[in-house]
Amino acid sequence: MNGASHRLVQVPPGVQCFVGAEARRRRSIEETVVSVFEGWDYEEIIPPLFDYADVFASPGLAARTYSFVGRDGSLLALRPDFTSLLAKIAAGRLADRPAPIRLYYSGEVLRYEPPKAGRQSELHQMGLEHLGGPCSAADAEILAVAGECLDRLEVKGWVLALGHVGAFHGLVRALRLPEGVADLVGERVEAKDADGVREALSRHGASGEVAEALGRLGSLAGDPGVLAEAAAALGGCPEAARAVAELREVADALDAAGLGSHLAIDLGEVRGLDYYTGLVFRAYAPGLGFEVGGGGRYDTLLARFGRPMPAVGFMLGLDRVALLLERQQAAPPADRAAAESVEGDGLGATLGRARARRAAGARVRFEAGKGR
Amino acid sequence: MSLTVALSKGKLLAGTDALFRRAGLPFPEDPGRRLVVALDGLRFLLVKDMDVPTYVEYGVADCGIAGRDVLLETGSDVYEPLDLGFGRCRLVVARLRGPEPDTLSSTLRVATKYPRLTGAHFLERGVSVEVVRLAGSVELAPGLGLADCIVDVVETGRTLEENGLVPVEEVAASSARLIVNRASYHARRAEVGRLLGTLAGACQ
Repeated sequence: MNGASHRLVQVPPGVQCFVGAEARRRRSIEETVVSVFEGWDYEEIIPPLFDYADVFASPGLAARTYSFVGRDGSLLALRPDFTSLLAKIAAGRLADRPAPIRLYYSGEVLRYEPPKAGRQSELHQMGLEHLGGPCSAADAEILAVAGECLDRLEVKGWVLALGHVGAFHGLVRALRLPEGVADLVGERVEAKDADGVREALSRHGASGEVAEALGRLGSLAGDPGVLAEAAAALGGCPEAARAVAELREVADALDAAGLGSHLAIDLGEVRGLDYYTGLVFRAYAPGLGFEVGGGGRYDTLLARFGRPMPAVGFMLGLDRVALLLERQQAAPPADRAAAESVEGDGLGATLGRARARRAAGARVRFEAGKGR
Repeated sequence: MSLTVALSKGKLLAGTDALFRRAGLPFPEDPGRRLVVALDGLRFLLVKDMDVPTYVEYGVADCGIAGRDVLLETGSDVYEPLDLGFGRCRLVVARLRGPEPDTLSSTLRVATKYPRLTGAHFLERGVSVEVVRLAGSVELAPGLGLADCIVDVVETGRTLEENGLVPVEEVAASSARLIVNRASYHARRAEVGRLLGTLAGACQ
């Protein structure tokens, strides 16, 4: 087989093609999620598929972005992420719109990713952004919306694991750790490897109460009761203590609203996207080994686009939701009734009858001239 | 549903057996050729050591026991909450005993079972290397001229010595770790927490 012909058969790594029941399930997931977004008064934005590469200048994403040079020599990038695009639109096109602004999207992003389960180069994300609202209220609102999406999708046993990057950043700033050391420590905190954190800190010569708190951060995880323990453990660092207090306010609100059994706390959740500044969370459910979605607060991103305001958002990965529902053996979307066949000899007359049946709301299969 | 634990059939098996007995947990006694063993409340998967993190990362197993060397090599996104204290070894760079050989080549050829880790280690030091990936008997490579040096695990150092090699640099220290899937950690908090507590108590 020559080089050209195999490319006419194979699918390039990282992209997928969906047919039949699988395509229907994806469409039905998208419709369910979008109806929840609409129900909480979020407005749809359909952003462009590519934009200037500068828009997506997050260091964490830069290495995974497909970029190319436009005809006029400017550097363009296929969107690796919706949040930056929506921030740009909120600051520019919607500059006159008073805050808070509630926006949602549903579409593909493209990233260089080594293909893995639920992690392709082409990912369908469904998400929303709440821009310029009061922080605790907006955080609580988007978590409730995320929870409702998972409920409506009939995901069993879902959990929202909440963290706050302020706890980690506060401790790192208090210790004045250089960036390289902070990255290494962050990676060990994220792995919940307390010994690894202590080793990295002692190699750098950091010790004392704050260093010990950093060692414990990964284990400050569990049911919301752990926040009391966290407040005591991080009390020596005002910035970290403030983060715990903010998280507690949101967790208490969700608990009072009946979502307590779905909450987990994880102060070791520190990585995420580099523009997060406050609340961060991931949604998990039994049956899928990785998160089905997540989000967080990014209070400094909008300033890049000239309209500084706090913001929070989240997204669900359509590919991961589909995989999760399959693993949890959710009932596939109901099969549609078979189409009624409209047959006949005269092409014009048969087409006329098919149009009449369509006008009456029937699903038709046009089979003029069949059997001739 | 019971928790699934992925175990390595390799060098960590004896230490894991001892730990589970100390903790009063069930352990598959001589599984023979069986690769999945269910014992009151726990299900065990017996897999190759390099594959343990993969089973846990994908959530096929909720927990697993893997060496830190393997975790560094696979770079798996899993929690590592507990150093179990056994299976201690060092990952070292080793070369032939004797004076450093004269060479005009600026690229170092390194044989290893840990290509990712080896590449990253030398990259950090600004040394350009050609990594020769082997599946075993790595100690043979320098003597036969396949590589200038090796990166491998050392417990006692006897294998290195018998092959005329000396360790020249430590890359990392390793020991057995309990690893936990991210979703299981949160979505099956009570069961995972119990297992973690029991094992932590037993390795004090």
